[in-house]
Amino acid sequence: MDVSGIIASNAAKYKSITVEKETPLVVDTGLLLVSDHNPIDEDSYNENLEEHLQNLARDGVQELFASLFALPTQTSEDGPLAQLPPPTTPMPRAKPLPKPKPPTKWEQFAAAKGIQHRKRDKREWDEERQEWVNRWGRDGKNKQLEEQWITEVPLHADVDHDPRKVARDERKARVAKNQKQQEANLARGSQGGRKQEIERTMATTRISTASMGKFDKKLDGEKKVRGVKRKFDPTEKPMEEEKSASLALLSRMGSDAKKTRREPAPEENVVNVRKAVRFASKGRGGIALGAASARGRGRGGRGGGRGGRGGKR
Amino acid sequence: MLRTIKPKNARSKRALDARLPKEQEDPRTTVFVRGTHSGELLNGVMRDLMALKRPYAIAFSKKNDIHPFDAASTSAASLEFWATKNDASMFVIAQTTKKRPHGLTFVRMFDNRVLDMLEVGVESFVGIPELKTPKSTPGHKPLMHFASDLFDTNPRFVQLKSMLIALFNGEVIDSICLAGLEYVISVSLGPSLPAPANGSTEEAPLPTVHLRTYTTRMLASGSRTPRVELTPMGPSLDMKLRRHTSADPELLKQALRTPKLKKTDVEKGLGKKRKNIEVDEMGDLRGRVHIAKQDLGKLQTRKMKGLKGGDTDGDVEMEEQTEGEGPTKKRRKDGE
Repeated sequence: MDVSGIIASNAAKYKSITVEKETPLVVDTGLLLVSDHNPIDEDSYNENLEEHLQNLARDGVQELFASLFALPTQTSEDGPLAQLPPPTTPMPRAKPLPKPKPPTKWEQFAAAKGIQHRKRDKREWDEERQEWVNRWGRDGKNKQLEEQWITEVPLHADVDHDPRKVARDERKARVAKNQKQQEANLARGSQGGRKQEIERTMATTRISTASMGKFDKKLDGEKKVRGVKRKFDPTEKPMEEEKSASLALLSRMGSDAKKTRREPAPEENVVNVRKAVRFASKGRGGIALGAASARGRGRGGRGGGRGGRGGKR
Repeated sequence: MLRTIKPKNARSKRALDARLPKEQEDPRTTVFVRGTHSGELLNGVMRDLMALKRPYAIAFSKKNDIHPFDAASTSAASLEFWATKNDASMFVIAQTTKKRPHGLTFVRMFDNRVLDMLEVGVESFVGIPELKTPKSTPGHKPLMHFASDLFDTNPRFVQLKSMLIALFNGEVIDSICLAGLEYVISVSLGPSLPAPANGSTEEAPLPTVHLRTYTTRMLASGSRTPRVELTPMGPSLDMKLRRHTSADPELLKQALRTPKLKKTDVEKGLGKKRKNIEVDEMGDLRGRVHIAKQDLGKLQTRKMKGLKGGDTDGDVEMEEQTEGEGPTKKRRKDGE
């Protein structure tokens, strides 16, 4: 049987899908991009520009289609989806890479302890009502205690004991605590680093004189510290305020809460060792005293009362 | 500088979050700015480029006094302001003057700062409506075709190629519908021109850039890959390169940073060797799965009355013994 005729008719029916070029085309399927590095045929360019360009483009697109249709596909409603590899042509980004979020204190703790994150549903099952209810928010389960129509009052409670108010205050306190923690996490995450710290210290030192830096020597190019205001107490004050302020000052002077150098705790021995050392070394300290005694022992042969039998030192 | 906004409700927070930097970026939103004088030809160019770029295109159709290559003007500040305000990272500016007729400037931004700029002069233009041919669906991704080795060797054309890819096709996608490959943007160069004979200090003029847009038609080819035929769709532009500023190396280095490979990608086999998967001689993918050794003693075979046996008492005793031992052993194992 001669099949050459069938093959020939088949070939005539379907035009070629292969592209032959001197330099093979470079395809970047990730960006749906094809580059043709072959030199331009000037004759066809000058002869018929539009046809020349269209032929060039057709060859390129045919090559690109060949690579795209060779990719692994997934089925979808609109037809096969080709799974594209990441692009090989580097392209500049429009925005910098996102910075990783600083971990919260809980996240640090959980990571250290190996606690897995478990997402909690927003709704939970209410046994009494036999339906799903919000954990918080509108008709939230966390408000159940303060919204129920009857509440048990503990024995010997005050006359003005309001169980609803107690429950509400507890809930509000929980919310406030969470908010505080959240702010602390944000503050910890957004610390400006060493430079900002130095600048802040600098600003503090500059306003730490009695005149708040007014009469200090200025350096070249030093900027004015902003936001510094001197505050004066009013000359006339109510009697109680003045009294309480003076008493607070007195008590602060009496206490040693802010003292930088603490008095040493009274020792149990009768001899004050520090004082004795100072006296024996004539004020040169314990190390000098030790060195002097060692030298004396070396020269005297017999040494102190230690008995030189061991001979180790 | 814009003031920093603290979101007051969930909706505005979502809107602000959408503008934050992402690992996988969205297509570049492009602002098409009309300069002080643009002219009919440039207006047509802008209209057609916008049609290709939709829905990521914003038109500034009023006259804007903007001269991006003029360092003395406040244009750079304006561009930065517009970029922040519109969350746009690319600009196409149309401006025609006596000295530089039909000038089209592409400006690319990084982190709301100007990265690089490129000006082309449009020499001839055929718009979309002028060609009575089938058009592509708006919003579909184009294919890109660049024909010349100058696009990889000459820095001016490297910049043009990068700029056009960023404008039309810059975003990274992981899959594409094969039926949706509807049109192609083809950029080719004319033959390189000879250097001027007498003024030898001047460099040879750069060849003309031909930008053409075609719709694709897929014909059966008897194999999986279809045969492609193209039909001109418009716009068609012939352009000459004019002024340009290249990217600041430090800024470009930052812009070219790529995200680390994600865990799922590593598992898929990108960037790291895949374990326990191999391709055999027949080209089939073979995986190895490790399972603990099977205990055949506990294998449940067919239950038969005859096997239960008459010596029920003895059997029961034995079973009790083993049962009594079983849990203790298990417990010990768990503890280890």
